[in-house]
Amino acid sequence: MKQIDKKVADSYFRERVRLIVIFLIIWFIVSFGVVMFAESFKAMTFNGFPFHYFMGAQGAVVTFIILLFINAKVSDSIDKKYGISEEKNEQLSAGKALDH
Amino acid sequence: MDTQFLVSLSIIIASFALYIGIAIYNKAKETSDFYVAGRGISPFSNGMAIAADWMSAASFIGMAGTIMLLGYDGLAYIMGWTGGYLLLTFLLAPQLRKYGRYTVPEFIGDRFESHTARVIAALCTIIISFVYSIGQLSGSGVVIGRLLEVDAKVGTMIGVVLIAFYAAFGGMKGITWTQVAQYVILIIAYLIPVVFMSLQLTGNPIPWLSYGKIVGQFQELDQQLGISQYAEPFLKGSKWQFLALMFTLMAGTAGLPHVIVRFYTVSTMKAARWSGAWALLFIGLLYLSAPAYAAFSRFILIKNVVGQKISELPAWTEKWINTGKLQIADANGDGILQWQEMVISNDIVVMATPEIANLGMFVIGLVAAGAMAAALSTAGGLMIAISSSFAHDIYYRILRPNASEQNRLLVARISIVAATVLAGLVALNPPGVITQIVAWAFAIAASTFFPALVLGVWWKRSNAAGAIAGMIVGLAVSLGYILAAKYGGFSIAGIVDTGAGVFGAVAAMLANIVVSLMTKEPSQSVQEEVYDLRYPEQMTYKDGQVWMR
Repeated sequence: MKQIDKKVADSYFRERVRLIVIFLIIWFIVSFGVVMFAESFKAMTFNGFPFHYFMGAQGAVVTFIILLFINAKVSDSIDKKYGISEEKNEQLSAGKALDH
Repeated sequence: MDTQFLVSLSIIIASFALYIGIAIYNKAKETSDFYVAGRGISPFSNGMAIAADWMSAASFIGMAGTIMLLGYDGLAYIMGWTGGYLLLTFLLAPQLRKYGRYTVPEFIGDRFESHTARVIAALCTIIISFVYSIGQLSGSGVVIGRLLEVDAKVGTMIGVVLIAFYAAFGGMKGITWTQVAQYVILIIAYLIPVVFMSLQLTGNPIPWLSYGKIVGQFQELDQQLGISQYAEPFLKGSKWQFLALMFTLMAGTAGLPHVIVRFYTVSTMKAARWSGAWALLFIGLLYLSAPAYAAFSRFILIKNVVGQKISELPAWTEKWINTGKLQIADANGDGILQWQEMVISNDIVVMATPEIANLGMFVIGLVAAGAMAAALSTAGGLMIAISSSFAHDIYYRILRPNASEQNRLLVARISIVAATVLAGLVALNPPGVITQIVAWAFAIAASTFFPALVLGVWWKRSNAAGAIAGMIVGLAVSLGYILAAKYGGFSIAGIVDTGAGVFGAVAAMLANIVVSLMTKEPSQSVQEEVYDLRYPEQMTYKDGQVWMR
């Protein structure tokens, strides 16, 4: 076990939190945001749908799925950047559970 | 007995044999395996298990019909039941995984160093899971009853026996692989009819791309018929109700104990993030298809049924009229069916689609097996959550701390059987419509666990008094609002009982923060443990320093 600079650890946390904040803002806009202004999207159409309907039935859901995969992927590369090894994580968490 | 009955029955029996076979094969031997499957499930398989656990009878049977009847307003369910996975995967799942406990009440008890908080959390888990499972059992009763041509009550009892059997003897390990099998069956059963309908109506086999045209055509068709516009927003409820319901379903998703516990079955924080992503992809396949079902069925009803002579309606209508799920009354006595003269139940859309589109006996049986898989897989997961709360958090941690492992396993199994039978008894005479009961469970989860878990993970200052106050206030506000709205006609900004979670969650959040700040801060070691959740497993926070292992 070796000590690492607190600043390095903090910047790891900040990068992760910045990601989450960005994703949650997008999450809010495509769901709550579009619903709040649904009436003003009525006239637009997308692939045959009125736009507000498209967002509710497909656009929002697809965005959610993409955000989750981007999060998983980008988080992996942040881990890599900070030298986190998944093997080591697995080892450590195996003993982490309460012993009962 | 006709051929259809035999075909449906053999498909259902074959699928049950598969699930039970898997459960027996994986029969758990150790307690640790019983609850969390020995922590070695890959994110891909775990994603499928989460999806099967998640998609209940309400999703499979009810949702498409709900959207068909509500139009745009029904899409709150689509976005609400998918968007919650972002809250769960970003804010809770990896951190709870690193904290490493077996159940949600155990996390709350240890994080807040309070037996009282643990017991309240265990009771909330039991209440939420119990309310939710009532809906599943009565859903399975409807399907079994209709297909085996027995009374729905008898169908419910058959469902009770099946669930008690494989949940009690398989444990979570049996459940995980059983649920993977159930996901595969339910998604195939859901997609086949909608693909064929899409092909018949639009010539394009990909329903997600083709049904936009149908939705676009409704504008003109609805105008001709003089009925309310399908895609027009907020006709069936206020905009605030839409937003409140969507929030309730999202926050409730992130606070459902039987879903959270699935994230304890993966090995690391990284695996938890990938599990969340795969789970929503698998769930999305069904949720993206439900509005297509709704649009195609509505289109067929308008084109082939409405405007016909009542004596010359297609043959499948008669069967559904006989079940009472479709009512037709010639109000103006002209012998021709108007849209307004038809009353359709939510339940028939998915179940009747194979008949409407003439897909044959095999597909009809497959859809029934898929609906059963949806109901049973969710109920199985709920029963595990109830039994672990009781056997582990209440019995072992509070009542009998020196109980042997065998003894605890026995208590877990007895509590599964007891809870299933009890929920089955309530399901014989459910206290409300199934989707309504399910939404109540979400409102309670959004008001109790969601605030306690989010603050517990992200705010080290949150303490036992705050968590207890938050959960109690959240429970009281959500239950109070549900009762006042349902029975007292009370509402704020048009928000009805199903949107109650928004008030409960805000009240619980405030109570947790205010009471935490007014009382003593948590112990140094707990604060360090919470701080430690910011980092991956390999980094450890200790005495203001970060160590790399």
